[in-house]
Amino acid sequence: MSKIRQDSMKDLGTIETGLQRPTSRRGFVRIIGAGSAAAMLPALVSCEGDSIAVPIQPGGPGSGGGGTTPPGGPAPVTGVSFDLRTDAGFLRLVQVLEEVEAAFYTAVVASSNFNTFFPAEERELFVDLRDAEIIHLEVVRAGLGSQAVPSLRNNINTATLNTFLASRASIIAAARGFETLGVSGLNGSGKYLQDARNLLFAGKIVSVEARHLAALRDISVPGGTANTAFASDDTIDAMGRDIKLEAGDIIARAAATNILLPNTLAAQPISNQPTATQGVPTTNFITPTP
Amino acid sequence: MKTNQQPILDAIDPEIIERLVSRRDAIRKGASVSSMVATGLAMGSVPVMLAALSRDVFAQAPSDILDALQFALILEHLENEFYKAVLGTSALAAQNNAFAPVRALIPASARETFMQIQKHEQQHVDFLRTTAIPLFGGTAPAITAADFDFTGGNGSGTGPFLSATTNLDVLLLATQAFEDTGVRAYKGQAGRFLIAGNTNADIAMESALRIHSVEARHASKIRRIRRQRNPSDTTLRFSGYIRGGGAAAAGAGNIANPPAEVVAALNLIYGGGTGPVSFPDSNTRHVIFNGTAEVIVDAATVGGTSAIGGAAAQQLAATQAFDEALTKAEVITIVQGFIRNDPARGLP
Repeated sequence: MSKIRQDSMKDLGTIETGLQRPTSRRGFVRIIGAGSAAAMLPALVSCEGDSIAVPIQPGGPGSGGGGTTPPGGPAPVTGVSFDLRTDAGFLRLVQVLEEVEAAFYTAVVASSNFNTFFPAEERELFVDLRDAEIIHLEVVRAGLGSQAVPSLRNNINTATLNTFLASRASIIAAARGFETLGVSGLNGSGKYLQDARNLLFAGKIVSVEARHLAALRDISVPGGTANTAFASDDTIDAMGRDIKLEAGDIIARAAATNILLPNTLAAQPISNQPTATQGVPTTNFITPTP
Repeated sequence: MKTNQQPILDAIDPEIIERLVSRRDAIRKGASVSSMVATGLAMGSVPVMLAALSRDVFAQAPSDILDALQFALILEHLENEFYKAVLGTSALAAQNNAFAPVRALIPASARETFMQIQKHEQQHVDFLRTTAIPLFGGTAPAITAADFDFTGGNGSGTGPFLSATTNLDVLLLATQAFEDTGVRAYKGQAGRFLIAGNTNADIAMESALRIHSVEARHASKIRRIRRQRNPSDTTLRFSGYIRGGGAAAAGAGNIANPPAEVVAALNLIYGGGTGPVSFPDSNTRHVIFNGTAEVIVDAATVGGTSAIGGAAAQQLAATQAFDEALTKAEVITIVQGFIRNDPARGLP
């Protein structure tokens, strides 16, 4: 086997200008909490005086696990991990991102400032985002069945959420950050999936996340001009390819936002990395301005 | 790998060896194989097994990826040459001249957007031609502006999309249709890149996915431009989503009496998984294999969604939340009228 893998690597050497070489497997999974990851979202310094109650209610996203939730709900989940030798492991990772996005957008739309922060066309946009992420979450959860991550409804860090909800700008910046994670994460994970049905399913989500991201960059320009921000030069590489992240980096960046309570994810959230047969890691490509 | 097989395997293309080895792994794990492969394995005969695998497995292996890449190249050329004609930068004067009337109507802001999109399409063409296709041993056919008829008239220059050369709303509709078709075409091909243990396939797949999401960004921006021009058409979402299915999902309400062929094309593009058996899902039903079972989930009726606000709202949201795939045959039916026939170069 090792000889064969070397042959493949040799082939890659001839096309290095066109393709990113696989990075070393050692570099594949980064340690959670890496300092550089904290730069994903712009610093959100001040929390407005009238901080917003977190409007995540029973019946909202995350209640699809079945049954009614007693007052106060279940205790927060801890120690979520991902076995990436299976497609289910990647789908669980997708589920966690969708849990966060669904909770975030639900809170945005329910926020008392929603109508004052956003004009009608942006309100339409955020309602669409909320609805799509709730549906993504519930479809992934239903598909995973017994292998789904337990509901993270009670794992949202309300202090962090309130800083995100403080202004139009901070909401949009956080949204762009989450969508950037979604697009880059799915783009980087597809090659490890082993079942064509799951690959198609992931493909059906990622292009919708890319539509979100383009719209969010369009209403508040983080890079390029107003007319090119939807896919500006810092977010598309010289071969016309979108952002991508390896799984370990997705988790690290998600954790660095502090949107989930501490200990929601296991100390070593990736219990098993993908095997070489599933795929080989490639260099991350991620925009400096989500 | 047993050492006594090494000399035989060394004489064979490493890509095929790798495929073979991973296939043997799969067989060991209990994957179903044809009786011919099983016979070859039982006999311990590499040649018999290879011969069988070449039919059984390799039919969806490197040659399949190459086919998908060549197909993608045609679509990228189509898009690239379309934008160049619109912008007046085509190498063919006739293409530039055809779009001169509508070009004068394009606002500076949309022109800058078109230029950004065209840059990406050129990058996609270059990447496929010079990197991805050669990676699989292929040679990209020479394709030029002369190979396309952007009116959809198969070379006549007077096809059903002719008014895109004079009417800005039709031009934007055609642009959106090309982009959404591109998104759906790549999505439909993704499964053909799935080869366990083949690094080239992994890289090609990742690149295809990344190009695919760029096409989705383009489609989103075009939909937003169209909505801003026609704010009352709520089919065109500010989120850039595709709402509903069929021609109605195109949001063509501001275009009077579109030709029947245009409506037919939009029905094909936005039909939503109504194609051949490859995609048994519909506009809202999705198939997941969770390692234990295949689960089909209907997003229009899945629970836990009360925040969306009722069944009707969920039905609409469900159509928007996922982008559907198109099969290669469906895509060819859609784009055939824009491409001059030349089977020798693989042009449909």
